[in-house]
Amino acid sequence: MQKIIDILKKFDIASIDKYKSTWVRCKLCSSEDLVQVAKALQTNGLRSLVTVSPTDFLDDNKIEMNYFFEDYITKRNCWLKCDIPREMQRCEIDSLTPYFKGANWSEREAFSMHGVRFRGHPDLRPIIVTQDFYNKAPFRMDFDWDKHEANQTQNIKLIVDELKNEQIQNDKLLGESDMMLNWGPAHPNSGPISLKVHCNGEDIISIDPDIGYVWRALEHLVTKKDFIEAIVVVERLCFMDNINAIIGYAQAAEEIAKVEITEFAKWLRVLLGEISRVTSHLMGIGGFFNTMGLHTVAMWCLDMREYFLDFFESYSGARIATAAVEPGGLRWGLQEDMLDELQKALDKFDDTKSSLEAIFIKNKTMYFRTDKVGCISADEVYDYALCGVVARASGVKIDVRLDEPYAAYDKITMDYITQKNGCAVDRLNMLYEELKQSIDIIKQAKKHIHEGIASGEFNPTKDHKVKFPKRLPKGEAISRVEWSRGEVLYHLVTQEKATNPYRLKIKAPSFNHTMMLNHLLAGQTISDIPLVFGSLYICQGDLDR
Amino acid sequence: MSHLFYEILLFPGIGYLLLVSVGLYWVFRKILAPMHKRVGPHFNGPAGSFQTIFDLSKLWTKESITPKGANVYLFSLMPLITLIIALLPTAVIPWTPTEIVVRSSYGVIIFVILIGLEPILLFLTAFSSSNKYALFGGVRVLVQMISMETAFFLACLSPAILFGTMNLHIIVQDSSWLSFAILFPGFIIFLIAFLGLLEQPPFDIPEAEQEIVYGVYTEYSGTNYFLLQLTKFAEFSILFAGGATLFMGGYKGIFFNGYLFLFLKMVFILFFMIVLRAGIVRITMQQMLAFCWRYLIVFSLLNLAWIFIAKALFMGSGI
Repeated sequence: MQKIIDILKKFDIASIDKYKSTWVRCKLCSSEDLVQVAKALQTNGLRSLVTVSPTDFLDDNKIEMNYFFEDYITKRNCWLKCDIPREMQRCEIDSLTPYFKGANWSEREAFSMHGVRFRGHPDLRPIIVTQDFYNKAPFRMDFDWDKHEANQTQNIKLIVDELKNEQIQNDKLLGESDMMLNWGPAHPNSGPISLKVHCNGEDIISIDPDIGYVWRALEHLVTKKDFIEAIVVVERLCFMDNINAIIGYAQAAEEIAKVEITEFAKWLRVLLGEISRVTSHLMGIGGFFNTMGLHTVAMWCLDMREYFLDFFESYSGARIATAAVEPGGLRWGLQEDMLDELQKALDKFDDTKSSLEAIFIKNKTMYFRTDKVGCISADEVYDYALCGVVARASGVKIDVRLDEPYAAYDKITMDYITQKNGCAVDRLNMLYEELKQSIDIIKQAKKHIHEGIASGEFNPTKDHKVKFPKRLPKGEAISRVEWSRGEVLYHLVTQEKATNPYRLKIKAPSFNHTMMLNHLLAGQTISDIPLVFGSLYICQGDLDR
Repeated sequence: MSHLFYEILLFPGIGYLLLVSVGLYWVFRKILAPMHKRVGPHFNGPAGSFQTIFDLSKLWTKESITPKGANVYLFSLMPLITLIIALLPTAVIPWTPTEIVVRSSYGVIIFVILIGLEPILLFLTAFSSSNKYALFGGVRVLVQMISMETAFFLACLSPAILFGTMNLHIIVQDSSWLSFAILFPGFIIFLIAFLGLLEQPPFDIPEAEQEIVYGVYTEYSGTNYFLLQLTKFAEFSILFAGGATLFMGGYKGIFFNGYLFLFLKMVFILFFMIVLRAGIVRITMQQMLAFCWRYLIVFSLLNLAWIFIAKALFMGSGI
């Protein structure tokens, strides 16, 4: 930690402080230094640039750039800031993509959303947004959404024209035996994403993912809600694991409001979060086998998942979008008999586990098909800033629950789970092992809650939340959670006496993982697309936000 | 003459084959559903058994769309032609001890060739759709045909060599427990190769929906798609019956001979197919090719050698 501070102090810095136990926050005086500082950090182990988050300060006429660097090995992280001018022509900064491969799409996103131009970026095209948003920077504070919506027909025409134009261009550019395959968005296995697969017969030459089909501008939508209402926006990050998504946001809001939640709420967050992770991983395992035409596993897993959703229903009234967590604790108290519903789900899982493992997880044909496909090395994990299941399958020991324990994870007995080779099958095994780990954590948390209630330590109907203020002071916080797909980083900014968030940046894991597709699939055959795509455990919800 | 019409229209012709295809489709669903832990609708007919007919009639009455740029005549004609070709082999199969339409002494050859024609027709179907995914499907169908049919032909040849005839009727009559045992390796090869021909897991490569969106069927909808699906299930029935006839003694039963036993044997092969479908993943084109040419064809050649030896040893006659 001290070493990073020493390195940073050699440069021209406006402020530096320790933030939380694992972060150093530093503000640079000049954006010109950025590349030098980043290089210095990189040589000292902070190899992963997680995300780039511009914040638009309309009153100060500046855009503040936030860079989040992480070191996956020693868990030292650095949060770098610098200001750049706000005028469209002068809004420029040096690109870090030549040094940090993972910055590629993050910078493209900042370019499309805030109009920040990155000097020296190899491929600075807009991403996520459609043609009608090009060069308009929709996330800037002065962007007029109503005016934009008024031109609906014109906007659609722009998109259609561009599509036709692209078709004509493809016909001209492609060689005789090459073809451009549109893999999605209406493909049985693609989900709402379009992969432009340039292929020669069955061989892939390159893949260009075209994302943004489910772009709901969540990060903008949050700013229209107050701090409590925002949870329904944040949980739409992905329907499969919504609890952990809200936990992350709630922690950031609590940090700015300086609210400490109760011990009971912490334990219940762990419990709900892990159940949410289980429901998501069950779908992930099913989806993995679906990509190879085997639907049985998905059916079995969905069958198990229903029991866990039953618990959600009894607790929150909703099965999928639960909105159960809010800043200040949890939305509802707990009746102890609700946990009986959970016990049924755990029993169901224990019953099915052995046959699922024997028939499918250790299936020889499946190994034959998947053990040499889509391999990611540990170095690539660092460079592309991958996280979660994908990173751990390559043997990288990262897990926010252990690196930077939140809620009651510091009192849970758990350890890093990793696999060795980082191929498709390792990611499946990873999912399955994590599923078992989550079940174990659920059991621990459930036991602790039962004991706490019995000893009178917890009052389950009153303790679940503390009062959360309507207005928050000026502040800025980041919060990380281990989401089912990996680390989600929330960067929340508030203004003085704010009733709603000023800016919320959500760093979602699928964004970086999708960036890998071209790297993993170029040179393979089109049979491998669904498998690699499915094994990366991508959710289009958090890909586009 | 009227008997011939009866044979063409009812048994074992169109009417019977449609019925048995739909019936097998129903059995197919009924066996697969519990393996998937799926619960279907209970309310359509007794135990929901009309659901299959409802599904088919829905498909059949839907609008059939011909895409712009497709070869219209070929596109609309091919489903019908494939269906007719798929129904034809029924003529040479001895369904009951008395019912066999064409008593040809080249039954095996007719059967094998008509089955082998189907992939080429499917390729033409793909070709007429002028769709990239359909084209991928068509090419994959051809590649799979070349590799799988070699093994399939060699497997079908083994009963013909053992019994010294290509007449399916005589093959059934001469079959016994001993011949079943001798033909067992050939039967296994037949089962594997026919999975490839019918595009069933793990060889459902030509219609891999997650990869190439059902391949040749991509552009088809409504009636045309219904015809193609029916072709597939007619082909199922024919191949099950063919396998039962060639290797398992056809209509021969334990206490009496009759159609019932042939049907049970067909359901047995269907069951084998469904268990694989419920428990195995699709392999890639390259893996299929490697498997076929490195193992399957080698073993089918060895199997032929075994048949020659066994014939000399057990059947008491020279070659």
